[in-house]
Amino acid sequence: MTLEVPEGSLTALLGPSGGGKSTLLRVIAGLEVPDAGTIEIDGEDVTGVPVRDRGIGFCFQHYAPFRHLTVRRNVAFGLEVRRRPKDEIRSRVDELLDLVRIAHLADRYPAQLSGGQRQRMALARALAIEPRVLLLDEPFGALDAQVRQQLRAWLRQLHEKISVTTVLVTHDQEEAMEVADRLVIINEGHLEQIGAPAAMYDSPANEFVLKFLGPATLWRGRWIRPHDLVVHRDPDLGGERATVERVTHLGFEIRIDLSLAAGSPVWAQLSRGSAAELDVAPGDQVWVALSESAAGVDGSPVPASTHRH
Amino acid sequence: MTARWRWPLRVVAFGYLALLVVIPVGSVFYRAFEHGFATAWDAVTTPDALHALFLTLIVVLIAVPLDTVFGVGVALILARHRFPGSWLLDALVDIPLAISPVVIGLSLILVYGKSGWFGNWLAAHGIQVIFSLPGIVMASAAVALPYVVREVLPVLLEIGTEQEQAAATLGAGPFTTFRRITLPSIRRSLAYGVTLTTARVLGEFGAVVIVSGAIAGRTQTLTLFIQDGIENLNPTGAYAGAVILALLALLVLIVLGGDPERRKRRWRSPSDQFPSDSETPSLSTT
Repeated sequence: MTLEVPEGSLTALLGPSGGGKSTLLRVIAGLEVPDAGTIEIDGEDVTGVPVRDRGIGFCFQHYAPFRHLTVRRNVAFGLEVRRRPKDEIRSRVDELLDLVRIAHLADRYPAQLSGGQRQRMALARALAIEPRVLLLDEPFGALDAQVRQQLRAWLRQLHEKISVTTVLVTHDQEEAMEVADRLVIINEGHLEQIGAPAAMYDSPANEFVLKFLGPATLWRGRWIRPHDLVVHRDPDLGGERATVERVTHLGFEIRIDLSLAAGSPVWAQLSRGSAAELDVAPGDQVWVALSESAAGVDGSPVPASTHRH
Repeated sequence: MTARWRWPLRVVAFGYLALLVVIPVGSVFYRAFEHGFATAWDAVTTPDALHALFLTLIVVLIAVPLDTVFGVGVALILARHRFPGSWLLDALVDIPLAISPVVIGLSLILVYGKSGWFGNWLAAHGIQVIFSLPGIVMASAAVALPYVVREVLPVLLEIGTEQEQAAATLGAGPFTTFRRITLPSIRRSLAYGVTLTTARVLGEFGAVVIVSGAIAGRTQTLTLFIQDGIENLNPTGAYAGAVILALLALLVLIVLGGDPERRKRRWRSPSDQFPSDSETPSLSTT
């Protein structure tokens, strides 16, 4: 596969676990040696360059804090190794601790930090050496849901501020779409599609990408987004006749399971408002049509079961 | 454990230690000073006794650093590289624990002795291993070889490679990474391993008695001096030598392994353990 990461972008490598995303990230970093192929940074071939000379910042999934060093010494490590003057190290570390908002924790040890604080320390440590590329391996994977939400927004802002070329690995499509400006979808070692999140959601290259990025349902042999189905009670408006099987309230989203007259099941996703307007209950007769702007991909010959989110 | 059994078990534990260690060692101290301090002092300041003490210290100063460097190296190789035959290296390290020191001494004679495999070559180059210092050092180092490896290896496996990889991404070379990341992480277990190694070398008898020839004033270490005292009706010398040996061992435990924090921490519940400590839970079982 060939993958180009534009300078200053925030690219997410997205795909199911075990698909080779982390391996790719480690190969870029030089922590693993590729069987074949080359890695270039700024047009320079770095395939044979050892990790320590590659000028990359790497954040490990579990942050790999130096447990015997304080937060300050952790962040200073890269600069100390480079034998920078003490004053310079001090002011640079202060600056970074402010940037990641853990200045008040400078003298603590990693074990005395929360997961989110540890993650920000790892980020500051990686940024200290002014890397050409910042690599983040499942940056939010080890955090609880609420902290994860906050850190996503924060990372986005941070990237706008420092604009270092960033590649992150995640298996969470929502996270990738929220944080990244480019998505690279990887499955079983293959590159499935590259593009901007919105564009990819609207025009997925194949069934895998469509299903991975959002909910999908099978409609007349094509995979489509269930929110692209229009459900109404007026036979004159056309569409295919169906019976309501089940109505599920998921907060803002209402999910309606239907069985078509032809016999196959399909489900539609409605907003709260339009579901209230429609006001259906199991057993009701409705008509279903596909909205005009709908995108879709042809289903595989043997239809898989409906993909739910 | 029910409260009913608590006291009997404590009595058994302390009684066992008293019968096997406290009373016998205590009586050695008593016998050493039975005829007054001056008699004991005279017995351990004879030229032979001083030489035995001196030789023992020399052996410790050579054998312990050898085992330390080798032990850390082997632990690093076993923890960080999987290679065909690593299981064999792992098993070989334990041989000195499994085999009697006497057999180790004997095997050294077979290889380095006059009629041994390397005997002729060594003799031709004027190097005498058996019945001299090199043999004593080799026997001591061989017997005490497993301790550093066995203390350090589990900690290396426990801490994993991520911190070392992180150091590499930050620009640290292998030596810097070892010195600034790996070594501080294994420091406590290494200190404990060195303590055990030193204690073992100080007290080694079986392997050394075979390779040294136990020549008074020449190849007699402290343990051999004690044995000599018992055999040649110099009990005061033997007891006084034993006291010196015990005091040396105590000194080693205090200086190297006597980290009081470590011992205290072992008796605290896991939740109060100071979180920044690099010591891993597996270690506290050693």
